[in-house]
Amino acid sequence: MAKLTLPAEEWMYRGHAACPGCGPALAMRLLLKGLGPRTILAIPACCWTVIATPFPTTALAVAVLDNPIESTGASLAGLRAAADALGLADVTVAGFAGDGGTADIGLQALSGMLERRTDAIFVMYDNEGYMNTGVQRSGATPQGAWTTTTPVAGTRRGKREPKKEIMEVVLAHHPSYAATANPAFPEDLVRKAERARAARGPRFLHILAPCPPGWRFSSEETIALGRLATETGLFPLYEVEDGVYRITRPYGTLKPVDEYVRAQGRFRHWTDAEIRELGAQARAGWERLCRRERETAAVARPPPIPLTA
Amino acid sequence: MIEIRFHGRGGQGAVLASELLAQAAFLDGRSPQSFPFFGVERRGAPVTAYARVDDRPIGVRTSIVTPDVVVVLEPGLLRTTSVGDGLRTGGLLLVNSPLPPARLEAPDGVRRASVDATAIALAHGLGSRTMPIVNTTILGALARVTGVVSLEALGRAIDRYVPAAPAENRAAATDGFASVRLGDPAAPSANGAARIPFAVTVPIPEGPLARLPSSSIRTGSWRTLVPEIDERRCTRCNFCWKYCPDDAIELDGRGYPVLVLDACKGCGICAEVCPPHTIAMVAASEGP
Ligand SMILES: Cc1ncc(C[n+]2csc(CCOP(=O)(O)OP(=O)(O)O)c2C)c(N)n1
Ligand code: SF4
Ligand code: SF4
Repeated sequence: MAKLTLPAEEWMYRGHAACPGCGPALAMRLLLKGLGPRTILAIPACCWTVIATPFPTTALAVAVLDNPIESTGASLAGLRAAADALGLADVTVAGFAGDGGTADIGLQALSGMLERRTDAIFVMYDNEGYMNTGVQRSGATPQGAWTTTTPVAGTRRGKREPKKEIMEVVLAHHPSYAATANPAFPEDLVRKAERARAARGPRFLHILAPCPPGWRFSSEETIALGRLATETGLFPLYEVEDGVYRITRPYGTLKPVDEYVRAQGRFRHWTDAEIRELGAQARAGWERLCRRERETAAVARPPPIPLTA
Repeated sequence: MIEIRFHGRGGQGAVLASELLAQAAFLDGRSPQSFPFFGVERRGAPVTAYARVDDRPIGVRTSIVTPDVVVVLEPGLLRTTSVGDGLRTGGLLLVNSPLPPARLEAPDGVRRASVDATAIALAHGLGSRTMPIVNTTILGALARVTGVVSLEALGRAIDRYVPAAPAENRAAATDGFASVRLGDPAAPSANGAARIPFAVTVPIPEGPLARLPSSSIRTGSWRTLVPEIDERRCTRCNFCWKYCPDDAIELDGRGYPVLVLDACKGCGICAEVCPPHTIAMVAASEGP
C-alpha cells in the first residue's frame, strides 16, 4: 500500500453544501490539512459561507468568523490582536475569501493588513467570478470568458478586460510569504499551507479553484482542468519568500492551451486565433516568472522587514 | 386561492416550473405569484419553489407551509425530504413516478396522482438519463388534475419563457396532461399521523455557535451517479481519497478505498483521477 503523501487528518467535514466537483471545497480540505486544527478562519460572504453552514451544522472543525465581504483583511487584524491578547501564540489566523472578496470588494482591507504587516494568512480561492450569486464577472475573471454579466451576443464576446494580477498587487506590499497553489497538485498545496503557517508576518496564498457550474464543465473534470491550467503556464505554481522567487512545478515545455479552453463552456465562442493569443500570453507570463526566479536567486536576500506592529 | 409547493433537485427546473405555472395562470387572466425558497441551489440538492393562484390580487408574501398541492419532480425526494409537510387534508400530492397513485405514500386524507414524467421527458429528448428535465411534463399533469391553469395557456407560457426546445416541451406537457393518473385519498392510518418520513432531522444545538458537524447531513441523496470500485484492479495509490472534494472516500486498514455513501455527491472525480481506471460511475438507483 502506498504511503500517504498528505496528512490523514480531516478538518473539513463531509456533508457540506458545495456543488458536486467543487474546486473550492477541495481547496479548503487540503488547506486545512496544512494549517491544522489550531486555526481561526475568517470567511466573508462567498460560496464558502454557504458551503460551511448548512443550518444548524458546520462543515469546519476549526473556529470560524463569518464577516462582511469587504472586511476579511480587517477581521484578520482583529483576530490576531485578540489571539495575542489572550496569549494564544500558537493559533494561526487565516482568511479564506473568493476572488471577489479578495481582489475586488475586499482589496482595501487586504492591502491594509499587508501594509500594516498583520501576522496572518490571507487565502484567495480563485474560481474566477462571483459564483455564489450566480456567475457574475469579477476582476479575476479571464478576458474573453462568458459570465452572466459579460454575455456573448452580437459583437460582445465575454469579458473585455484582462484578469487582474492579484499576485502582483500583493507582492507590491512585500509580504513575508506568498505562493500560488492548485488543488490538482495536493502535495504542493499542503506544503505551501505548512510553510505559510510556519512563517510570520503577512502571508498570502492564491489558490486556483475550478468551478463546474461557473466555468461550464462537467463535475468530474475539476482535477484535469486544474492540472492543465498549471501545465499550460496559465497558472504557474511558485512561491515568493522575502522577495525570492521559486517555481515549485518547473516545466521544460508548456502544454498548448487548446484543451484547457475547449473543455470549458465559458470559452465556447472562442476562435482559433483567440486561443493562439492566450497561448502566447501564457508563454510570456511563464518566461517573466522564470526570469524573476533567476534574477532574485542571484541577488542577496533583501533586509528583513519588521514583523507585526 | 390555491397554494402549490414544488420539490425538485437543483438543475431539474423546479423553480422554472413554478414560474411557468404563474405565467400560464396570468395568461388565463388570473392573479398568480411565484418564488423559490432562498437556499442552496446546488446541482442535485433539494430545491423548493412556491406558487399561488387566485382570482384576485394576492396580498400574502410568505412561503407556503400548508399547501393545497405538493408537486414532487423526483421520486427519490419522497425518501429524503419531508415533502408532505403541512399538506392539507383533501389536498393533492402529484409525484413524478411510474407507480400507480395507490402505491404512493401520502399523509392521511390526501389525494394522490402520478405521472411518469421522466419517461415522457426523455421520449421528447428533454435532459439526460441522469438529469431529465421534467418540469413541463409535470405541469401538464398538474393542469389536468387541478384545473389551476388551462393546457392552452401553459403551452403559450412555454413558448414565451422556456429558453430551449419549446415545441418538445409543449408536446411533453400535452403528454403529461393525457397520461396523469389520479387515485383515491390515502386511507387514515391507525394513529392518524402523516406517514411521509422525516429523513433529515438534525437537532438544533443550544447556544449561539453551530458545533454540529455537517457529516450528519446526507448529501449522498444529491447524486445521480455513484462510483463503483473494483478492488481487484486497485493499486492502493489513494488518488481517489486525495482528490475527493467531499471527503467521501476512506481508506481501510489495508489501504483500499471505501465509499462513504451518505456523503458522496457522485461528481465523478475519483473515477477520472484513478490511474488504473478501477472506478466506474454507474446509475445511482437507490438513495443512501
Ligand atoms: C457588500 C456586499 N455586496 C454583495 C454581496 C452579495 N454577495 C454574496 S456572496 C457574493 C459573491 C462573492 O464572490 P467571490 O468573493 O468571488 O466568492 P465566490 O462566491 O465566487 O465563491 C456576493 C456578491 C454581499 N454579501 N455583500
Ligand atoms: S458555484 Fe462553484 S465555487 Fe460555488 S459551490 Fe458550486 S462549484 Fe463550488
Ligand atoms: S464521486 Fe465525487 S464525491 Fe463521490 S467519492 Fe468520488 S470524488 Fe468523492
